[in-house]
Amino acid sequence: MHSIFWRLIFFISLSLSFLNGGGGVLDVDWSTIDKSQQKPSAPYPDVLTIGIKEVHLPVYLTKSYAYDENMVVVADENFYSISFELEGASLLFEGDKTFQESVDPTNPEFQKIVKQSPPVEYIGAEGMMTAEFTKHGVNYAITIECEDPKKDKRCSETDLIKSLYNGLAMVGGRP
Amino acid sequence: MRYFLLIVSLLLLTACSQKTEYNGKDFAYYPAGVLKPEKSGKGRVGDKYIYAPGIRFPIESAPAYINSQVYGVGGYLGPKGSLCDQKNYQYPWRDNYCEKRGWKMPLCTGGKGHQGVDIRTATCEKKKYYAVAVEKGIITSIGKYTVKLRGKSGRTYRYLHLDSRTLQVRKGQKVKRGQRIGLVSNNMGKTPTSIHLHFDMKQTIKVGTRSKSVFVPPYSSLVDAYKRLLQGRP
Repeated sequence: MHSIFWRLIFFISLSLSFLNGGGGVLDVDWSTIDKSQQKPSAPYPDVLTIGIKEVHLPVYLTKSYAYDENMVVVADENFYSISFELEGASLLFEGDKTFQESVDPTNPEFQKIVKQSPPVEYIGAEGMMTAEFTKHGVNYAITIECEDPKKDKRCSETDLIKSLYNGLAMVGGRP
Repeated sequence: MRYFLLIVSLLLLTACSQKTEYNGKDFAYYPAGVLKPEKSGKGRVGDKYIYAPGIRFPIESAPAYINSQVYGVGGYLGPKGSLCDQKNYQYPWRDNYCEKRGWKMPLCTGGKGHQGVDIRTATCEKKKYYAVAVEKGIITSIGKYTVKLRGKSGRTYRYLHLDSRTLQVRKGQKVKRGQRIGLVSNNMGKTPTSIHLHFDMKQTIKVGTRSKSVFVPPYSSLVDAYKRLLQGRP
């Protein structure tokens, strides 16, 4: 009887130890930055350069949107969120270098999630189309949200989100 | 030692139980991960971890009801009837995180499922009840039917289906915990949904030297927050 209890205690302790709690800031691997991408063909608009002035992670935007002065930038040193209003849709670029939970690397569930996670994933959910990806150790996302999610192919097919991802350029951010 | 073993046994019994738990006058809820049986998918049974400790409940006032929009009365795959049926507006709560959906969700059994939970307000009336900020933070984006709040913790909370015309916040606005964001409605652009708040929480989990941003289970955090709301200390 005693041994069963001890096994239970061991099992529970092990389970709880997987989620260590406690957040922090991820290390950005600046050595993997493609420096050739950093030189813009023309100066970016003030709304962008001023908006991301304090951001301490690489900022990525699809090239064709980097000069759109109608963007809204919300940012601090650890994250950025840049949004655009399109015809019948909104477009959002995000990057964040914080983490909220630290998990024991031996945790089989999270080990599997991280290992099986491809460099970029395209997910259509709740009427939105999202590209989630990791670069330089940081997590990024591009999201398209449509006014008519059932009929608008921008939110039901992956063509646009893929082209947005493939057109990404680093437009700022500093160590 | 005896007490410790007793607590352990109780924890195990609770985790495995399908029975509701009670708190307060009449509030009752099924444990986290126990979805509507039969066909609605597999939840994270036993995962009672509070991923967002101390958050405020996202609806300004009680009562509110967490249950399935799809498998509830009047839902797309639920019993026939009105979405406003009284059965949808009563306790016990039932988790619907990981409920069957067609999209990828790494924390769900089978790798697919609902990214958050659906919450009904006190009555089946749109534009009457406010959704509020669950923690101090900043509104990072407002989409066609989504408001995103980045909390001071770095966690991102999404509020879906609020009435766009009566939003109380703008992009880039700093908000206090409990501050009104907007009125719960059925807004999903040109294809309205049922009257409810879809609420989800996304956070980055660090595993060794790597990390992954995932939608984490909100149910236990919300049960905890709701108990505090009922006790008058939201």
